Order: sequence, then structure tokens, then C-alpha cells
Amino acid sequence: MREKLLRIENLKKHFGSPSGDVRAVDGVSFEIFKGETFGLVGESGCGKSTLIRTILRLLKPTSGSIYLKNKDITNIPKKYTNFLRKQMSLVFQNPHSSLNPRMTVYDTLSRPFLIHKITTNREETTVEIVKILKTMGLQAEHMIRFPHELSGGQKQRIAIARALAVEPEVVFLDEPTSALDVSVQTKILKLLNKAKKERNLTYFYISHDINLIRVVSDRIGVMYLGKIVEIGDVLKVYNKPLHPYTVGLFKSVPEPDPDKKITEIPLVGEVPSPINPPKGCRFHPRCPHAFEKCREIEPELKPVEDGRLVACHLY
Amino acid sequence: MPSIQQQNEINGHNTMNNLIEIKNLIVSFETEEGKVEALDGVEFQIEEGTIHGLIGETGCGKSITGMSIMGLLDNNALIENGEILFKGKNILKYSEKRLQREIRGNEIAMIFQDPASSLNPVFTIKNQMEEVIRMYQKAGKKEIVKRVMEELSRVKLPDVDSLIYKYPHQLSGGMKQRVMIAMMLSCNPSLLIADEPTTALDVSIQAQFLKILNDLRQEMHMTMLYITHNLAVISEICDKVSVMYAGRIVETAPVRTLFKNAQHPYTYKLIHSVLGVENNLEDLEEIPGSVPRLINPPKGCRFHPRCEEAKEICSKEVPKLKKIGEKHFVACHER
Repeated sequence: MREKLLRIENLKKHFGSPSGDVRAVDGVSFEIFKGETFGLVGESGCGKSTLIRTILRLLKPTSGSIYLKNKDITNIPKKYTNFLRKQMSLVFQNPHSSLNPRMTVYDTLSRPFLIHKITTNREETTVEIVKILKTMGLQAEHMIRFPHELSGGQKQRIAIARALAVEPEVVFLDEPTSALDVSVQTKILKLLNKAKKERNLTYFYISHDINLIRVVSDRIGVMYLGKIVEIGDVLKVYNKPLHPYTVGLFKSVPEPDPDKKITEIPLVGEVPSPINPPKGCRFHPRCPHAFEKCREIEPELKPVEDGRLVACHLY
Repeated sequence: MPSIQQQNEINGHNTMNNLIEIKNLIVSFETEEGKVEALDGVEFQIEEGTIHGLIGETGCGKSITGMSIMGLLDNNALIENGEILFKGKNILKYSEKRLQREIRGNEIAMIFQDPASSLNPVFTIKNQMEEVIRMYQKAGKKEIVKRVMEELSRVKLPDVDSLIYKYPHQLSGGMKQRVMIAMMLSCNPSLLIADEPTTALDVSIQAQFLKILNDLRQEMHMTMLYITHNLAVISEICDKVSVMYAGRIVETAPVRTLFKNAQHPYTYKLIHSVLGVENNLEDLEEIPGSVPRLINPPKGCRFHPRCEEAKEICSKEVPKLKKIGEKHFVACHER
């Protein structure tokens, strides 16, 4: 039995707004096992980033529970969140804004070691920093550089190094390559893979790029309008998506091959507002298979076949 | 002795159906740090009725190329050399006034990445569409409203009757982008320049948008310059593609040739660094290093510091774009 590292139960995060509550994350449950990469895919506004921030307790959950190694951290007081930062770290989307422009790479990377008292003196810190820079394919000489002296890809590697420095249980990656060019993306993905093997890490990877999620993940979840609609092993989901949204989403991705073109529109209409989501199944207004029940009753995420969870009345 | 036509074909200038020809365009910018050589001898032609893709990574000069055609470059830009022949006339020589009167809107129109910033937030869709139509055509009030409706239905926008009274913030990104297309098409331009029109959109909305463009192309025999960094989108809608790197065109080819038989080392690596349905991380190519800064770009071929096949000549001489196959041009010393 694999060790459950993180368990999320019916987590909700609503934001108040003049026109009603924005239900950004609206009842999400899933688990992350030790040593795996869990990929979460969904279009903009589906609540992926809010979900990550809520789990990391950067946002206060509206309701639901978060368990880290069977310890309930949902309502952990603010003064103890420092403990969480060592267990779970985050890499942001945009490396140009997530690094302090006035701190050298050494300063930036020494912070986690000092704050969490991992090293006791300067020499030790330096040794650790050189080590982590090597993991990310950088050299010791990069320590004295400022962010503006680095390329976008190098900056993101520093941001990843910072996240790995605390030897966290789970690393959250929020679209770490979407601000970078494709030629640089490959390098980052390969380094992330290498670091995972070397340090026996667990990743929680979110992205809107479906092919990217496919190559980095072991298991994936598909999110739509604040809910997870399907969870399963990555290859099984790709080879045979079950939820109609997953089917449409995968078909929408253009293939870099002029002989394979999208011939008909896979998903009609647009994502409804999370302020007033459709009654019943949230996907029913865009679903080609919708029937009476879909308009009335919200489907639960339930096991369908070999470890696959799907929230759809068809199954 | 080959005829002029044949001669032109040999040189790649099939002047017969080229709507626009860009020749040796050199554009630089004066900045505090020094001169930025943004475009260095950009050259390509767009045939009438085709969609021509312009692809490259951030900062390679693809948007500057689009802006040069529209005559919308910033004040610190200097056009050092080159010609932009539109229907045989060099529009680079046109005055601002003449460009505005004869070219922009009615001959060449452009849509941008972010539709939200292209539309005016304080006017309704109807107001803004009417203004555009009125600017270029003489028509009565009723006729104009009818035209607005027609154009909007052509891009498959739903509920046009109520939609025209809405303000931009009431529409989603995909709908705004469709309004932009409708607005541009309402002036019947000969050439439409689209600068990353789907980058701000989700994949499902992007698929809808590309389908509409593909349909419109069939219907209207549209000529388009499609600027993007997304190879998959290029393969979806383009007929011919030019690949840009650090201010230069490195390869131009019909889309199928480019994807199956890329010749320039950069093009090859770029195509093989994109994830498709079947390939895995291990199959992907990496390009070592990063895109050079254009203040002091590498001498010779600008790609040579990152190129595995680079020889001595590559760091000395600028490779010329030469013909290596049917409509296939490449700028590399090794080809």
C-alpha cells in the first residue's frame, strides 16, 4: 500500500463579491501518494491555482479538510504555518516576478536554509547551495548573480532550487514553464524529472497544457469550474477519457502535425461563471450527452473502472 | 534563357500572385543601452488566398514585422533598409496620412493578442462596429446596422440581436476576439494580420476560433499573416510558414514540408521540442543556451552559438536565404 501523503476532503474556497460568492473551488476531494507526480489539468478560471493556494494555506479554506500525513492542517494557526512551508513548497508561474530583484542568487537560496535552520553556518549553507544549483544544472558561479543577469529559464531553475532547498514532502508546481519558450521548457522538465529521482520527491503539477501534464504525471485529475470531474492513471485517462469534458478537452488540443487537423468543434459554448454555476452537473449546458438527470442532480466523483474516478451520470 | 516568370520562380518571387512581398527589411531601435537590431534582412512573400504563418520565440521580431507592415512602429524605430511591396507598391515609402487613408483598415487590417485592450470599454459593440464601417463605406444608418449584424453572424456569434448592445466587459475573451475579427472583416481588407490571436484563449475556445478562421478562409478566399509562437496552431491553419530567429528568417516552406522535412537546425529542434499526443519527454530536443540579446547579436549566423552543426564559416558569414526545394528556402551554410 502506497503511503498517502496528502488527503483533501470536500475542500471549498469561496470568495465574496458584490454579485455573489465566487465558488472558485467547490468541493474537491483527492489524494496524493508519496513519490508520485499528480497532475491537475484544466482551463483558466477552473480553480487550479486557488486549489493549490488553499492547500498550502496561503488562503483560508471556506470548508473541507486537508490532511498532510494524516495530520489535519485545515485550521492550523497562522504562527505554525512556517512548519507547512518546510513540508510543502511552491514554484510560481512567472520567474520574473517570483525572485527578489535586489537579492543575489546566494541570498535568495540561503533564505530557506536559514529560516528553517537546516544549516548552522555560512560554510554549510554554501555547500548546500552549490549542491542544489548542480541539481538544477547551474554552476557555483551563478551564486553571485542578480536575477536580471539570468535568462528566463535560469531564473525558473533558481526558483525551483529554492523550492527544493527545504527538502519538502510535496513540491507544488504552478505552470512552471508557461512563461518560458518551448526550447527552454524541455530543459526545465528534464531537470525536474532528474531532481525528483535524485531526491525522491512528490510533485503536484498544475497546468493548462494537456500534453505537458501527460508527460510529467503518473496520475492526473481534470478540473472544471471548481470541481474535479475525473481522476485516474495518466495513460488510462489519455487512452480512454470517460468524462465528456475530458473527451472534449483532449480533442481541442491542436496537434503539431499538418496532417492531423481539428475537423469539428470539440467543445461548444464557453465556461459558465463560477458565481452562479449551472444546476445539476456543471458541464451539462456544454455536454453532448446531457439528459434530464444531469440538469437536476449533481454527479458525485465515484469509482468507475480500475481505479478511475469519474463524476458523470453516464457511468 | 529562362523567361522572366521562370526567373522569378527561381528567385522565389512568383510576382504573379504575391499579395505582399517583404524584401530585406532592416529595422533597429535606439535604446539607452544601444542599438537593437530587431529585424535584420527579413524576407518573405505571401501569396493571395493563403495563410502565411510567422513563427518564432519571444523577442525574435515577429510582432515587429507585423507592425512594420502596418506602419505602426514606435517613434524610436528606424527602418534602415528594405521594401514592403503591397500589390506591387512600396508602402514603406507612404506618408502616415496616406497609410491611414489608403492602407490601414481597408487594405491591411490587424488583430492583436489581447482583445480586451483592442476594444474600447465605454462603447457598445454596435457603436464600435458602426464606427469602423462608417469610416470606410458610405451607407445609410439602417444599412450599417444590417452590415454589423451580418458580420457578427459570420463569425458565428450567438444571439447577435442582444449582443450588439453589450459592452466589451460583458463578453468573454473568445467572443471579444470574434468581434475583433468581424470588425476587421467588415472593411474587406485584402490582407489580415493576426498577432497571436489565440494566445490569451483557452484550448477549447482556441479550437472554436481556429475552426471559424478556417471556414472564413474557404468562404472569403482570405489572405492572412498569422503570427504565433505555437507550432500546433501553425499546423492547424497555415499553408506556408516562415521561421524567425533573432530578427532573421531562417526557413520558409509549405507547412507540410516544414513539419516533415525541416532543414534549418533551429527549425528542426523547435519542431522536436513541442509535445504532441504521442511523444514523450525523452523524445524531446533541447536547444542549449538561450535566445541572444539583439543589442550585440552573434556575428555570422545568429544561431551558431547554440547550433550543434556550427562550422567556422557560421561565426563569420551571414547565411543567405537560398532555395532548396519547391517553395522551400533556408538560411544555413550547411545546407
